[in-house]
Amino acid sequence: MTTGTTGTADEAPLLGPESQFRAFFDDPRWALAIIRATVLEAAHPQIGAALADNSTFVAHPWRRLRNTFLSMRRMLDADPAVREREAARLNRLHARMSGSDSRGRAYDAMDRATRAWVVATLYESAVTMCRLSGQPLDQDTMEHVYAEYRAFLAALDGDAGELPEDLNDFWRYFDRVVEDELENTEAARIILYRLFDHLPAPALLDGAPTLWAVGRAVVGPLLGSITVASLPEPYRRRAGLPEMPGATTLMQGAYLAAGLTRFLPEGWVNAETIIEALSLSPDSDDPRARTVTALRARMKRASALLRLLTPSSGGTGTEPVPAAPTATGEGRRSAEEFFRQVLDQTGDGHLDWPDLAAMARELATRLDLDEPEETRLYDAFAAWWRELQAALDTDGDGRVSADEYAAAVPSLAGHALIRVAEVLFDATDKDGSGTIDADEYRALFRTAFHRDLTTTDGTYGRSAFVGDFLSFMSGRRRNTPYDPVLTDA
Amino acid sequence: MHAQATGGRPVGRQYGDQQRQDDGPALAVPRHVACVMDGNGRWAQRRSLPRTAGHRAAESTVIDIIEAARAAGVEWLSLYAFSTENWNRPGTEVDYLMRLVRRVVRKHAPLLLARGIRCRFLGAADPRIPRELAQDFDDLTTLTAGNLGMTLTVAFDHGGRRDIVEAARSLIRNEIPADDVTERLFADHLPFPDTPDVDLVIRTSGEQRISNFMLWQVAYAEWVFPEAHWPDFRAPDFLACLHAYRHRDRRFGGVPPQTNGDPS
Repeated sequence: MTTGTTGTADEAPLLGPESQFRAFFDDPRWALAIIRATVLEAAHPQIGAALADNSTFVAHPWRRLRNTFLSMRRMLDADPAVREREAARLNRLHARMSGSDSRGRAYDAMDRATRAWVVATLYESAVTMCRLSGQPLDQDTMEHVYAEYRAFLAALDGDAGELPEDLNDFWRYFDRVVEDELENTEAARIILYRLFDHLPAPALLDGAPTLWAVGRAVVGPLLGSITVASLPEPYRRRAGLPEMPGATTLMQGAYLAAGLTRFLPEGWVNAETIIEALSLSPDSDDPRARTVTALRARMKRASALLRLLTPSSGGTGTEPVPAAPTATGEGRRSAEEFFRQVLDQTGDGHLDWPDLAAMARELATRLDLDEPEETRLYDAFAAWWRELQAALDTDGDGRVSADEYAAAVPSLAGHALIRVAEVLFDATDKDGSGTIDADEYRALFRTAFHRDLTTTDGTYGRSAFVGDFLSFMSGRRRNTPYDPVLTDA
Repeated sequence: MHAQATGGRPVGRQYGDQQRQDDGPALAVPRHVACVMDGNGRWAQRRSLPRTAGHRAAESTVIDIIEAARAAGVEWLSLYAFSTENWNRPGTEVDYLMRLVRRVVRKHAPLLLARGIRCRFLGAADPRIPRELAQDFDDLTTLTAGNLGMTLTVAFDHGGRRDIVEAARSLIRNEIPADDVTERLFADHLPFPDTPDVDLVIRTSGEQRISNFMLWQVAYAEWVFPEAHWPDFRAPDFLACLHAYRHRDRRFGGVPPQTNGDPS
């Protein structure tokens, strides 16, 4: 995969911090537009299949959002070297994704036409977002933005040949794909109807599950209908999406309201600050964490009051008493919890290779790995997957169900898992000193050394590292530094 | 550290030795009043009602006494709601009690919050406590944790000896040398170590027993035994008990007054 064209003199200024592309990031309308664009992507059969198989957006949407955001920011960096490196990383990441959908049609995340469609939906959603909020782009801006998006595709794919050069042809291309190729895929349905109704709380709001659930119950269906109403009519017809009375007005109102934030003082709405704040967990040593902790205490109180005021479900009848979660004891989680929170990264109820690949992807992203370390990490995870499959897949369907996992109550700490721990240690130990120092530790866990960590002279040795990783993965210990890495939504 | 050692309970205001000793025996109002809510069953039997009716009737007394204590300037109120021995009662009565307590907690949570009363539950560790009730206890504790008015401690599934055993365990777990253990330090390892000594215990229905209630804290308490059954006990009766307390001559066996630990 070549990325040479990004460096050419006349394309370089198209991307970068000053671009229109970048300016949309802090626009609240962009949040609605990106949901819409994601549905249009997921409606493409190839992308839909890839998402359903590989993506962590159902189980870990906030982590996914943050990673995507950071990646986009790097793609728009002023420094072409940063952009090229990120493009290469994204290409490596996508090259690892291929397979076939439920009807046996092959997909490949490197398919050029498909990747062009992703960029097309982003561009079209940006234009539509401006139109729907009553501030349409003029023809010149529209063409300029189009050139920026083509440059973005070229940065990824080497050239933008899959997207028409002329904007007029683009609209014909877009309408044709919408009418001929899009389907009512499972991934699109999940985004429209399941994702927002079941969206787990981000780390920041994790302590207030009731509050989150109440807010979600109101906002989830709203976001769904707003998105449906903003989709192109031909697609709505083909996918059999409902026409809700008033949904169009609601959708336009939402875009209009989001657009009004442009009158807020500059800097008030900053996507990066918001996303970073959402991923803050209260035990982090970030200076903002103290405010967050105070805020969480108030939210916890509000949630407690809310729970106490909600009419009790059981009334005076005999209430079923499920196995108390406290019975499993502090510091350990049940096999089922561990399966759901850690192992099943894609949230489809099964453990298979994409789940472990997602773990490898998250770790590689955090450590900002280059080749060949990245491949070593993936290989170690692949070996662990073979070990798990051999040990746990009792019905031979190629994947491990939650039941199979619980039935085996596996020790999980086989040779391959130890190997994963060692490879991870080597990858984390960037300077090869044989110990992990504070900076290396922070790269992986985004926090300083924990007080209770078995550190000697402010470093973290190989055996302690391997031991902690194994106890997280097999001993199912809670409250390890790995929890925010692999468990947080 | 101590809070964790005693099961992660919240640690509230700490009363230093200095403050303890400043409060002389001539206090007009007892700082810490504890009530053993006895006689619900007999109250019901006398009226040919099922025992459960007695428990239900107890609810209004509880609210009445909380209000009266707060108005009289009592800083700490403890209510003995359910002992570790009460699990031996018939299953239906225990079930009924659990549901009743849950209803009472939920019903009065906003009032307790509004009155600035800090609520917490002493004991409440048994797995037989329904999950929903335990959740409500936690919620009420969380909700009112920041309140600075009276502290209401509800002893639920409580046993005084068990608390002492817990403190001993905590000391051993923290590897405290035997010679370092003083009464003061021991008290710090009890559940809710901020609780001051009980000044006055009211046990209704004329029974005169301790029944394993807050054994450590009642060491120097004055006891009154009104004849009324708990459902009949009302704010004026409570004030009469406070009045009786005022006329007691508290001597603390010659040790400095209101000591919750080592007198030295």
